Amino acid sequence: MAEVRRQLHSRSNQIVIHLAHLPLAALDFTTLPQQLVNGLFLGSIYALIALGYTMVYGVLKLINFAHGEVFMLGSYGALFTSWMLGFGPGGNAAQGSIFTLALMLLGAMLMSGTAGFIIERFAYRPIRNHPRIASLITAIGLSLLLQYGGQAFLLDGKKQAITSKVSPYNDDIILNLRKPNTEKLHEAQALQPEVDAAKAAFDAQLPFEKSQFELSPKGDALSTALANVKEKQSNLMTAANASAVSLRLPKGKLIMLTTTIILMIALWYLVMKTKMGRAMRAVSVDFNASSLMGINLNTVITFTFILGSVLAGAGAMMYSTFQSAPIDPFSGMAPGVKAFVAAVLGGIGNIPGAVLGAIIMGIAENLVSWSGYSSYRDAIAFVILIGVLLFRPGGLLGSSKVEKV
Amino acid sequence: MEQGGEGLKNFQFGKWIGFRVVSFGVAALLCFLLDRILQGDNQSYTRFLVSLAGIYVTLAVSLNLINGITGQFSIGHAAFYQIGAYTGAVLAGGMFAKLATSQPLLWLVLAAIFGAITAGISGFIVGLPSLRLRGDYLAVVTLGIGEIVNIIAKNQKALGEAYGLAANKIESVFLVSLLAVICIAVSRNLLKTAHGLAFLAVREDEIASSAMGVNVTKIKVTAFVLGSAFAGAAGALYAHTKGFVSPPDFSMDVSFLILTMVVLGGTGSITGSVLAAVVLFIIPEKMRDLKPVMMGAPIGVAIGIIVGVALLKKIQDNYHGPALKRFGMNVGSIAIGIVMAKLMATLLVKIPALQHMINGASFRMPALAVTLVVLMLLRPQGVFAHHEFSWSWVQKLLGRKSVPETEVAA
Repeated sequence: MAEVRRQLHSRSNQIVIHLAHLPLAALDFTTLPQQLVNGLFLGSIYALIALGYTMVYGVLKLINFAHGEVFMLGSYGALFTSWMLGFGPGGNAAQGSIFTLALMLLGAMLMSGTAGFIIERFAYRPIRNHPRIASLITAIGLSLLLQYGGQAFLLDGKKQAITSKVSPYNDDIILNLRKPNTEKLHEAQALQPEVDAAKAAFDAQLPFEKSQFELSPKGDALSTALANVKEKQSNLMTAANASAVSLRLPKGKLIMLTTTIILMIALWYLVMKTKMGRAMRAVSVDFNASSLMGINLNTVITFTFILGSVLAGAGAMMYSTFQSAPIDPFSGMAPGVKAFVAAVLGGIGNIPGAVLGAIIMGIAENLVSWSGYSSYRDAIAFVILIGVLLFRPGGLLGSSKVEKV
Repeated sequence: MEQGGEGLKNFQFGKWIGFRVVSFGVAALLCFLLDRILQGDNQSYTRFLVSLAGIYVTLAVSLNLINGITGQFSIGHAAFYQIGAYTGAVLAGGMFAKLATSQPLLWLVLAAIFGAITAGISGFIVGLPSLRLRGDYLAVVTLGIGEIVNIIAKNQKALGEAYGLAANKIESVFLVSLLAVICIAVSRNLLKTAHGLAFLAVREDEIASSAMGVNVTKIKVTAFVLGSAFAGAAGALYAHTKGFVSPPDFSMDVSFLILTMVVLGGTGSITGSVLAAVVLFIIPEKMRDLKPVMMGAPIGVAIGIIVGVALLKKIQDNYHGPALKRFGMNVGSIAIGIVMAKLMATLLVKIPALQHMINGASFRMPALAVTLVVLMLLRPQGVFAHHEFSWSWVQKLLGRKSVPETEVAA
């Protein structure tokens, strides 16, 4: 007990040291472009989820807390589709094709779209005229229900992953932005014959030794010589690469970004150019007046819910396939929260704002990991959220009108 | 308020203070008796449960002060609970280590006070800027603060990281239940005074109350600080009751559990919060002992619940006849729901695909979530709504006396 207490006492002094010792000096700026690109990829997924939050808030003024769980169901949709295509446990399907990926995308969209429809129809619609707090509590209840109910029913809540074989695009495109130091690189390559000679000499001696760990003096000398020359070469390589900047662009993530952009263009077309889109915009401006003008509110709201959920499902499929995120009943919570923050950051109810906010969120998160605080990466979303709400409650692109009553 | 004009006219200070002292003495005596009853080694599990129930009552009533009485929607109450608990644990391990071992009860009182002070200060820091936000946004920010506090505790070496902190194990049912009583007394007395009316006015309409001269900022911050200070005190007692604190004890789920207690009891009703806290604490504890069931059974129960709720909702929306007939219809639809649940459960377990075994204990959180959703569908104002327990209500129920129904801000 005394031991524990002494430890605790010394711990209370460490808190100051930990905060004072910021490892900002240790930042590696050559990896910064890579982090920004990764942030863009992650942000594009968040954008798909954030669009659901933002559209639902636009028409219904409701924060759909269960949206993260719709996302989670979408990833299960993708997982089950991949199992049906033979990529399940015990299945021996060959490498997947673009067709596999498209089917999985459809499966995920179908599953989350259905979930969104059911949630709207049976949980939100009956209490639409109640105070908003009631719908907020319902949303929290639904999100808990889907998480913990999923834990009981969906594969006992075990973590699952979509096998890497479903995607035929597992290789990377590597762009060299700044070349390594060629002089030092040549020097390192020039050492190669020396390394080979040392290795050959050691290998020739090896049969006469007792084991790798108990070397005779002669074997020991040869081994040391090999280690020395190898270290010299690797030091030269490190020095040569110290200033090199290269970008790895995984092909899968490029597909993901393209799909996201296509979906967003489709959404823009739907909202701006079609009759349903016009109805959605009218409802978001004035709920009651638009119903007086002959817009069927129920249809529009259901459509918006399904649309948002389908986008979340598409995001879920790509998140779990190309970002290789594990799937479990709780896996929707973190992306859901981050996407919500993205929607608020861009100005909730504002579609371009959600995309902008999501990309900022994705980059911010990667930068936090990059600067050595990866254990705080889930906190950054909330820190940004509180900052935005306190200083610019309308968000970056939203109107700065403060909500009254 | 029945005590309004008439009560003030013949107000006697001596009688008032005497009544207060006596009632507080009785409450303390009851807590002491409870403590005496639960002594002994064979009672240790019950003692632990009763202590935790007391802590949850304090938490629910203190959240009710913020959510129900002042109408600020805070869903990150576990943050203040956690701050109090860690304060207690750190101080007991550090500066007050000697006191905690030599004078455990004195230390427990001090720990509760220190926990209340730190949590109150953090409540002030959180509450003051958050006042700019309302409704949904305040909810999200408080949720975020809960998460931030938890993540910080998880990452600080001084706070034991994910492993947690050890505190001296000091059990005292007396102090835990006394804290609950004090919390109830403070909330109740607040509601019975002019100050309390200002809190209720802020809940009903912020702009109108500020036009009537209520200092809205002051009221909101007071509610936040009071509520979080009680949560902090409860946290410090929790740390010593359990002897150990770790971040998962204060996760988002705990916040949601406290919120469910407040909402179920009725936002604004102290009686409701207390009863809901006890019930919602005990039921999940008992559900831990459930046996594994086949997958069909819970699906059948879910179908039964859906049928029952749909019928109840239909009656509530469409039927406006005599109260007795309505009551009968409600009971009938609940009965249909139960029969349906039984029937479907027995039928569905016959299907081979649904014979997969599920651990019954994993239905603790889904049950809580179903409670929340069903309650919002059927009775969004909670079981007790804004009503409070009162003696005149009991007398009226027994047919002794006909008095106007006492009700806080109907």
